[in-house]
Amino acid sequence: MPLLSKNKAEAVNEFNQYVKPVSLWADAWKRLRKNKMAVIGMWIVGLYLAVTFGAGLLPFYSYTDQELLHANLPPSTRPAGRVAIERLELRRGDILLAMQASSREDLKRDLDRVNEDLDRIRFELDRDPVHKRVYLLGTDYLGRDMLARTVYGGQISLLIGIVGTITAGLIGIVLGAIGGYAGGWADNLLSRFVDIMYSLPYMLVVIIIMSMFKDSSNATVLGIPLNIIILFFAIALVSWLTMSRIVRGQVISLKNSEFVEAARSMGAGPGRIVFRHLLPNTVGIIIVYSTLQFPSFIMNESFLSFLGLGVSAPYASWGTLVSEGVQGMQLYPWRLVVPATAMTIFLFAMNFLGDGLRDALDPQSKNRS
Amino acid sequence: MSRFIVRRLLSIIPTLFIVVTLSFFLIRLAPGGPFSREKKLPPEVLQNIMRKYHMDEPLINQYFRYLGDVLRFDLGPSFRNKDHSVNDLIGKAFPVSLHLGSMALAVALFLGLSVGILSALNQNKWPDYAAMSVAVLGISIPLFVIGPLLMLAFALQLKWLPTSGWIGSRAGWATVILPTLTLMFPYFAYIARLSRGSVIEVVRSDYIRTARAKGLKESVVIWKHVLKGALLPVVTYLGPAFSGIVVGSVVVEQIFVVPGIGRIFVQSALNRDYTVIMGDVIVYSIILMGANFIVDVLYSMLDPRIAYK
Repeated sequence: MPLLSKNKAEAVNEFNQYVKPVSLWADAWKRLRKNKMAVIGMWIVGLYLAVTFGAGLLPFYSYTDQELLHANLPPSTRPAGRVAIERLELRRGDILLAMQASSREDLKRDLDRVNEDLDRIRFELDRDPVHKRVYLLGTDYLGRDMLARTVYGGQISLLIGIVGTITAGLIGIVLGAIGGYAGGWADNLLSRFVDIMYSLPYMLVVIIIMSMFKDSSNATVLGIPLNIIILFFAIALVSWLTMSRIVRGQVISLKNSEFVEAARSMGAGPGRIVFRHLLPNTVGIIIVYSTLQFPSFIMNESFLSFLGLGVSAPYASWGTLVSEGVQGMQLYPWRLVVPATAMTIFLFAMNFLGDGLRDALDPQSKNRS
Repeated sequence: MSRFIVRRLLSIIPTLFIVVTLSFFLIRLAPGGPFSREKKLPPEVLQNIMRKYHMDEPLINQYFRYLGDVLRFDLGPSFRNKDHSVNDLIGKAFPVSLHLGSMALAVALFLGLSVGILSALNQNKWPDYAAMSVAVLGISIPLFVIGPLLMLAFALQLKWLPTSGWIGSRAGWATVILPTLTLMFPYFAYIARLSRGSVIEVVRSDYIRTARAKGLKESVVIWKHVLKGALLPVVTYLGPAFSGIVVGSVVVEQIFVVPGIGRIFVQSALNRDYTVIMGDVIVYSIILMGANFIVDVLYSMLDPRIAYK
């Protein structure tokens, strides 16, 4: 008799057949795997995480070493010394041509400098292994490898995304759950506070906060530059609002349900009810929202760095790299295109993954946006 | 309805007060000020300057003095831009930003709605796929990536459009195109997705079936019935879209050197020009709250089920 079966892993359906019970997660995973774009997104995100955080183990060039002779080299699969010589020769040709038209003094000085550099590279070409380097994605204005800089810049961008999501999540979940469960004046106070914070132009407040601490960029706490820490806080401070609203709404809609009543009648305290019974039921929506919020952290950080108010040298984030790239984009487009593409692909993948997770964990919302 | 409007308007005042207070003390807490430069001023000069701007008084006095000035619509003198008052600077820059922002919003709405509705009516055919791919792209790429890339392509390589400036410059109205396109792109994308989703939902609903069963022409069904129902989520999104455009214009004005309040804001934040930052924040807050208010009113007009709480 199936009904007498003691085996917990088995259940029966309405036709009295054995079926394997499917948990929410297994079900969601099945749905997620069917969504091709979400799966591709997941692989790309995984690859980014592995490459950026495992960058120390991979054979990248240093992202801080400046090799001025290699400044602004285009992407190429040939050794850097050769590429640099070609560029210098082209430049020398241009200068010689210009000198036929005019006899300006600075042209002569330029020519001398180019000749000097050429002699130096030709001399060092076979002696110094530096010139054997291959810059697959070109170099920046100080001769640093764009590939390495993009990878290490991604490290900071992703870190800010992860830390921001966790901080905002924790604050939002705790405050939302307290407000939703307690109700009364505590809920009122928290909701009013969230409402007011919502109507603040928060990105502008963050800009003010960042500009205040712009000068203290040399200080470090536990080896992390102070202004990166402040950036974490400034962004997290204003991003827990939506999370707390969502969690509050979920908790309110669940707190009068039978399973909570059952828990209460068995003597469970409010802490136990909130953390053991209510929050686990909102995990799906929390995960979905966090995934969707993650790219917005990266965008906000890059937004600030782009304005010169975020991560500062010697550290770099994708935003810093893009803003550096903009400065020379007419002559050296790869300096803009490389970090911009890296960032866009990641955000793209993250969005597909977030959409996929939402459809998988909360199938009813499928057509909502 | 009118009670709802009045109450909603009155609630702006305390929020504005909090914004002013918060940003005032935030700015003053920071080390350094508008007069700290590389080359140190002689102490007597510094003292005189501080006295002139009442900055030698206790902070709380300065705060109340500032509040009083703001109530008289006087945002004070600029510390860095000696010849201009903040009212002047913002008064000149505000119309530019307003122009840019409203154009971006209008284009985003128009294009977003048309693309969204067309994709919904051609669901799962190639125009739908193409439009939605562009839309996801628009949501994923940050403004400060689109902007420079557009500039690189259309201004520097093809040389069709000017790289920077605004209507007053030699290039004239052509300067408007790139900043507007950049600023509207993410919101166009989101509105397109949103309206597609809601049109798909509405088309399946009972009242549309009724409308068709009555023998209405397809164009009447779409224009009179589907559109009104589908507009609702888009109207809700207008509030966030508007504030996004306001913040986004900070970056876009920076990229395309547009002389609007966003540019002033970033410059004054970098220079610690206290009064200009404050003035900018106040203007931005009023715009944002005003926009949210209008959206709320619009929303309650479109959806009678919403009570005027």
